[in-house]
Amino acid sequence: MSRIKPLGVLRVALLWAAVITVGLPLIWVILGSFKSPAELNNPNQLLFVPTLGSWRAVLSSDLIFSAARSLIVGLVTVSISVIVGTMGAYAIARFRAGGSLTRFGILAAQVLPPAVLVFPFLTVAYALRLNGTLVPVIFAHLSFVLPVVTWFLIGFFAAVPKEIEEQARVDGFGRFAAFRLVVLPQVLPGIGAAAIFGFTLSWNDMFYGLILAPSNSTILPVAIAGFNTFRGVELGPMCAAILIAVIPVLIASFFIQRKLVQGISGGAVKF
Amino acid sequence: MSTVNFEKIVKSYGDTSVVRELDLELPDGSFTVLVGPSGCGKTTTLRMLAGLETVTSGRILIGGRDVTKLEPKDRDIAMVFQNYALYPHLSVRENLAFPLRAIQTPKDQVATRVDSVAGPLGLTPLLHRKPKDLSGGQQQRVAIGRAIIRQPSVFLFDEPLSNLDAKLRVEMRTELLQIQRRLGTTALYVTHDQEEAMTLSDCIVVMRDGQIAQQGKPQDVYDHPNSTFVAAFVGSPKMNLMDGTVTDGVFVDDAGFSIGVTNVAAGRFTLGVRPDDILIGLDESSPHRGVVDVVELLGPRAIVSVISHGQNVAAVVEAASMTGIREGATVSLGIRPGSQHLFNQSTGLRVGS
Amino acid sequence: MKYEHKLLTPLLAVFAVAVGFPLLYSFWLGFTDYKLVNSGATKFVGLQNYISVLSDGAYWSSFATTTAYVLLSVSLELIIGLSIALALQKQKWVKDLTRSVLLAPMFITPIAVGLMFRFFLNDQLGAIPNFLKQLGLSYDFFGPGRALISLAFIDVWQWTPFMILLLLAGLESIPKQPLEAARVDGANSWYSFRRITLPMLSPVLVVAILLRGLDALKVFEYVFATTRGGPGTETKTIQFLAYQTGITYFRLSEASAMAFILLVVVLAIIVILFRNLEKASTR
Repeated sequence: MSRIKPLGVLRVALLWAAVITVGLPLIWVILGSFKSPAELNNPNQLLFVPTLGSWRAVLSSDLIFSAARSLIVGLVTVSISVIVGTMGAYAIARFRAGGSLTRFGILAAQVLPPAVLVFPFLTVAYALRLNGTLVPVIFAHLSFVLPVVTWFLIGFFAAVPKEIEEQARVDGFGRFAAFRLVVLPQVLPGIGAAAIFGFTLSWNDMFYGLILAPSNSTILPVAIAGFNTFRGVELGPMCAAILIAVIPVLIASFFIQRKLVQGISGGAVKF
Repeated sequence: MSTVNFEKIVKSYGDTSVVRELDLELPDGSFTVLVGPSGCGKTTTLRMLAGLETVTSGRILIGGRDVTKLEPKDRDIAMVFQNYALYPHLSVRENLAFPLRAIQTPKDQVATRVDSVAGPLGLTPLLHRKPKDLSGGQQQRVAIGRAIIRQPSVFLFDEPLSNLDAKLRVEMRTELLQIQRRLGTTALYVTHDQEEAMTLSDCIVVMRDGQIAQQGKPQDVYDHPNSTFVAAFVGSPKMNLMDGTVTDGVFVDDAGFSIGVTNVAAGRFTLGVRPDDILIGLDESSPHRGVVDVVELLGPRAIVSVISHGQNVAAVVEAASMTGIREGATVSLGIRPGSQHLFNQSTGLRVGS
Repeated sequence: MKYEHKLLTPLLAVFAVAVGFPLLYSFWLGFTDYKLVNSGATKFVGLQNYISVLSDGAYWSSFATTTAYVLLSVSLELIIGLSIALALQKQKWVKDLTRSVLLAPMFITPIAVGLMFRFFLNDQLGAIPNFLKQLGLSYDFFGPGRALISLAFIDVWQWTPFMILLLLAGLESIPKQPLEAARVDGANSWYSFRRITLPMLSPVLVVAILLRGLDALKVFEYVFATTRGGPGTETKTIQFLAYQTGITYFRLSEASAMAFILLVVVLAIIVILFRNLEKASTR
């Protein structure tokens, strides 16, 4: 085995380089959020006294309301997607309901360019006097969260052997009871992963929010972008704001990484 | 406990018929095995009785009650699947109790029933475990326990033993039969393994292309197969079949092998002889001789393949009388008198012996 | 109505409202002179928007910009992602932690990633230019000829993890026997990789590349956060151009037409992707 040692060294070096590349910008932002404006203007200064000024500024600003709006949009979008998607995905996975066309539509909708859909949402929102509310954003987010969640769930349902459901029916339960008592518990972790992933997609989207909910009803990513454009570069608060947006999804992501592959590939690849 | 009747059952998907006008009665308390090659419609038949497959036309009766259109839950049946279909998220105890939940059995009764089923199956120490922590044999027992706990009118088995290793399969076969005998519940069992079918059943039903090829007591089917298909399918090693012509009450095989037959007009026929009925000797004066190709020892007996006149003949020989019979040796071949079967060559149907 | 159709109906209903209707409406918009601020009657103008978009050099240049961006970022992601996936596959020490860290970027809000790098790579305040300066080097990451490369690098930073995730899963689902058989047959590791691992990984590779490519086509946030299409129009991607046309200049119909032309490209790719996935799931 000594022959392949140089390869081993290369392997470890590659991983270290990758970890550092991933970590450095993040650490820079974390440090930035604790620096004073003067220290931020001098990138050569490595030692500094941490200050909570930026965090205070951000936490007392409207950004918190934007975060709350993002939370509402995410929760509503994900709830609708999970309820509707679970039933639909089961019908598709188990009975091939809707055929290839439905499956294709669900895949295609996940990757539609948002520029295709955003203008209709905008004009309809104006027509219905819903502009400036979160309703158009929720519908816009449903356009990609619902297909993603459904696609995930199709894969998870397909992995449940149909025999256990048939067994439950023979054991004396109706179709829906068999689904609820036997099939659903098998896919519950998958539903959880799909819901979390769907939430991060909604939480992370800026394009729809930027166009459909500007000024008074900004969602979090749009509000963060605002640090860049309108008030000059307020680096410290921007760093803190970035972290507020990033930390919840990073934590959530740790729980779903394993299920993600199976979901993305619609069950075609298992981890 | 009930009699089951299939009346003119047809199952088709579009233009393809899987089951064609099947009529079958399972007498009350009987153990019937459906056997046949894959695609013969045996599993579909079972699933139609379970209510998991719709019936295209015809009726299914359980204890005289028409269940053709009923949901599985309303048929009072229990089923054991090939992969056991245990509920992975439930413990053994919860798995066993699951069918009782459907009929809202009171809690204390559930516990007693579970214990009374688990005991004889040796599951008592495993009740708290999850299915993934059980061996294949244990999983199999849980599946059986779950089937008997509700005391249904009919048991359905869909190749329940095929995932077990050979030794366990034989053990479980006996155990299954004992349970069914003790409870006296009508049972329908599907398998592609003819040996399993022979040993388990009161009645064996050989299926082919969605129809019954032959049904009857295992021994009757073995002794009097009504077609070359059944003759070849039932019995191991396979029955020797050879084509030939009958003239004046004598069958002459295309390779020159001849034997006297009765009650048959002249014509083309297929002669069948079970390997057990082929007599191998060292008689050098015999007109029928061949060279031993392969000898497979099975302990007390051996399967001997002999090549005679260019065709392969299998024979079962007692190990005790194997002297002189080894690979490469020249042997004489005979047929146990009266043991031959004669089939019409074009239809494959039995015509005499 | 059959049981499964009852279950499917709510999904199709929401789908029709959230995807089907806007899609058709957007298609229709592309043939009108609709303007958000114009209260006059909307006229049907036929192919006029498509003709003006397709004859406009700006659209084609943004098409070229986007294509270059996608090719550069996805090919880098593929190479780096595959190397890291191979390295991770053999990793034992703090395996789960390493994986979690390396996968983290793909969960971050893209606009935050864009801003983070705008700061990190900033000429005056950024850590990297500053570090280079101390080495006596000067490099403007968002300068002419470099901005698009920097944007692609940001994409690589955020989305290589996606490649790693899929490829690692693909690698781990490859059966061991063929590789062991090759080793018994005396094949060296490069040969086994090229002749066994890669071919067996290819369905996953195709899916990963297509998914990444489709996503990279939609790039908007990085541009919005850093260059706003500049310097000049060097980094004006299609999605950004559509945003500008529709929102900044209120020319919704023209923007819809632009988006629809992009959609045709996307759909062609999805058809290939769909075939691959269907094949993989029926295997």
